[in-house]
Amino acid sequence: MKPALAELISVSKNYAHIPVLKGVDFSVYAGEVHALLGGNGAGKSTLMKILAGLVTPTGGQVRIGGKALSPATPSQAQAMGLYLVPQEAHIFPNQSVLENVCVGLPQAASAYRSRVKDLISRLGVTLGLDTKAATLEIADRQIVEILRGLIRDAKVLILDEPTSALTPLEVETLFTRMRALRESGHGLVFISHKLHELRAVSDRITVLRDGHVVHNEAMEGSTDAEILAAMSPGVTALSDRVAGKVTSEEKVLSLSHLSGEGFVDISLDVHRGEVLGLTGVVGAGRTELAETLIGLRPRAGGDVMLEGRPFRAAKPSDAVKQGVVHLSEDRQQYGLFLEAPLYWNTSSFVYDQLPFFLRPAREQKRFETYRKSLGIKCTSPDQPVGSLSGGNQQKVLLSKCLAAEPKLLILDEPTRGVDVGARNDIYRIIEDLAATGTSVIVISSDFDEVVRLSDRIAVMAGGHLAGELPAGASTDAIGQLAFESKETSHA
Amino acid sequence: MLNWIARDRVATLLLVTIAVLLAVGVAAPGFLAPSTASMIWSNGLVLMLIALGVFPVILTRNIDVSGGSVLGLSAITLGLSLNAGIAMPIAIAMTLGAGLAAGAVNGVLVAVLGVPSIVATLGTLGLFRGVMLIATGGEWIEELPETLKALGAKSLSGLSVMGICTGLVIIAVWAFLRSRRGRWVMVVGDNRAAARHLGLPVKRIEFLAFVWGGGMAALAGITFASQIGFVPNQAGTGIELRAIAALVLGGISLLGGVGSVAGVVIGVIFFTSIDTALVFLKIPAYWNDLIGGAMLLTVLLIDGRLRIALEARDRAARYHRGDAQAPQSQKLEDAA
Repeated sequence: MKPALAELISVSKNYAHIPVLKGVDFSVYAGEVHALLGGNGAGKSTLMKILAGLVTPTGGQVRIGGKALSPATPSQAQAMGLYLVPQEAHIFPNQSVLENVCVGLPQAASAYRSRVKDLISRLGVTLGLDTKAATLEIADRQIVEILRGLIRDAKVLILDEPTSALTPLEVETLFTRMRALRESGHGLVFISHKLHELRAVSDRITVLRDGHVVHNEAMEGSTDAEILAAMSPGVTALSDRVAGKVTSEEKVLSLSHLSGEGFVDISLDVHRGEVLGLTGVVGAGRTELAETLIGLRPRAGGDVMLEGRPFRAAKPSDAVKQGVVHLSEDRQQYGLFLEAPLYWNTSSFVYDQLPFFLRPAREQKRFETYRKSLGIKCTSPDQPVGSLSGGNQQKVLLSKCLAAEPKLLILDEPTRGVDVGARNDIYRIIEDLAATGTSVIVISSDFDEVVRLSDRIAVMAGGHLAGELPAGASTDAIGQLAFESKETSHA
Repeated sequence: MLNWIARDRVATLLLVTIAVLLAVGVAAPGFLAPSTASMIWSNGLVLMLIALGVFPVILTRNIDVSGGSVLGLSAITLGLSLNAGIAMPIAIAMTLGAGLAAGAVNGVLVAVLGVPSIVATLGTLGLFRGVMLIATGGEWIEELPETLKALGAKSLSGLSVMGICTGLVIIAVWAFLRSRRGRWVMVVGDNRAAARHLGLPVKRIEFLAFVWGGGMAALAGITFASQIGFVPNQAGTGIELRAIAALVLGGISLLGGVGSVAGVVIGVIFFTSIDTALVFLKIPAYWNDLIGGAMLLTVLLIDGRLRIALEARDRAARYHRGDAQAPQSQKLEDAA
């Protein structure tokens, strides 16, 4: 057996007497990619933070390269050859990319310039070293984090959902890089919610549930059904699409030749009770289109009709009043009031309708209705929303949108960072909504999800509408549209 | 040219300062002389030192409003020990020690005990002033020795010893911020969680920034006492807010992580030259605050407007480019 590069021995962690991890054993060997899977709130992130010295365990041992991690600080863990690439990239917005990568290294950043440049070209990405980091897209920020790990010559690299913001092409180059690292004797931990991604690169899989290890096998010896069953008993696969759904011909929203920041000449119709999947690669202009519709960005040209009447929103509240509700892709920044109680969040789209003197009991009752219908797991309506897991936060956001009683609901990446169980719930909620006559636009980069949900699929590429596909189109067909039209626009 | 001005707050401020000085020169002949420059420099020394002390604290996204009281506390340490017959070098060492200790108290409160910096330093602002008043029994300290006054007197071609010291401090801070560890101070304010994640000693950096602030306030106290030759009760009162205003004017972001030494220097010189110009224009001194405040708001407003206009232009340019993504599609073709 090869030596363990990093090891956790019966590690446990309590937060205010609530156990999050209960005696977990975990190890990474040289030359393997170890997949770590688990539902939201299963303790994956906490476990990895303990390994990286960011969180002190309540009990158990952390060993890196055969030696105990002491003192348990991130700098010590890094010095011992372990680097954690976090889910949300930690960026210094006012520093250059080069400084961002090299902060904390023993020499000044300029000494590493050529090495960083080399790593960037080996990763197969384009990234200006002197660009101010504030201007980077989410995907490039992730690249900066990965570069940080590589430049530190970490023997153990933990990648916490590195693919959630990357395009399929970038995911493939990342995988190539991960395989190369494995060959050179590094140990990697790979966290993702997407089983097919885990399967593509991993050698071994560990599944966490409620703070326990419930599955630890070679990747090849584990079937999808086994893994899903271990993760959330009762769910063996993502539920399938209900066949034979008939949609109304009545147009709720129709765009004609709409142009704005990052997109041009978009003509689209959305019918009543329809789920329209709007997809494409990152940067195709989908989010910009949605934000322009609800008045967050200026409109450059074109017309929008809502139920046969001209529609224009100067600010998001105009859109909400007319029944068009939008949910941003960045739920932490633009969606939730993280420190506020759950029921405040549920009421947050309809504050203008609340009485002068608030009636908390009534608001809590409204939250209670949604808690039941959406299946939000929480201890009390007074709990701050930041204490919930990602999937439950997303459900709270949905409850806030539903409280506004939308005619048209625009959901931008509604399942980013959400586990399989909660994802099923969200799909069901979207379907129920459509069945009651609400039209839904789902913006997603996950082609499988788009196919699963949509009654019709619109694909954007490079700011143009690349084409429309009927329900049940193959992901290959979507991929072709999403990438090909870029080539034609280039030619 | 316009672009350069708009992108760089320091450049804007430099031009405004020169314009103001020229305008005053036209109105009051005799103003534009080397002696005026030397006067502005020495009048601004105390403010400059306090500003240089708060600068790293603000870079780490904290704030220190206790500077004026630390100045007073160190000034009386110096005055009392000198009048007690202690030798000058030892007295100065004790003074610096008092300032550093006061800074360390702030640092412990913020970095170790986790008190928000505005609360902690508001508390010590009163606390240090109180210690100072108790130590002197409310009396002013007068009849400081001539050897001390010599430090503040202009000797070498219009510069005093303290003036030269301040110049050296400016160069030292400039050099420090260009070093690897200097960068740590900036990144802690830029994104504290990220700095911690990358293994930087965040708490130690914050603590040392406050200690530095205390040390600089002590140096300001020495300068103050040497320039006016006595220490009144209210020595340094309100100077911390003027220092923070000068920093903001010089483009140092109160949100941390952004700022340059050039900004600090030009911000302080701008404030001081307005005060000095008012004297030349024979405007009563009680107009100083009003005019200084109005100038501060004017520069900030104009600068803010310019910045918004520029951002809008950058944004438009970015989305314009978005129509033709030639290099990116090239990459995709290669991959296919």
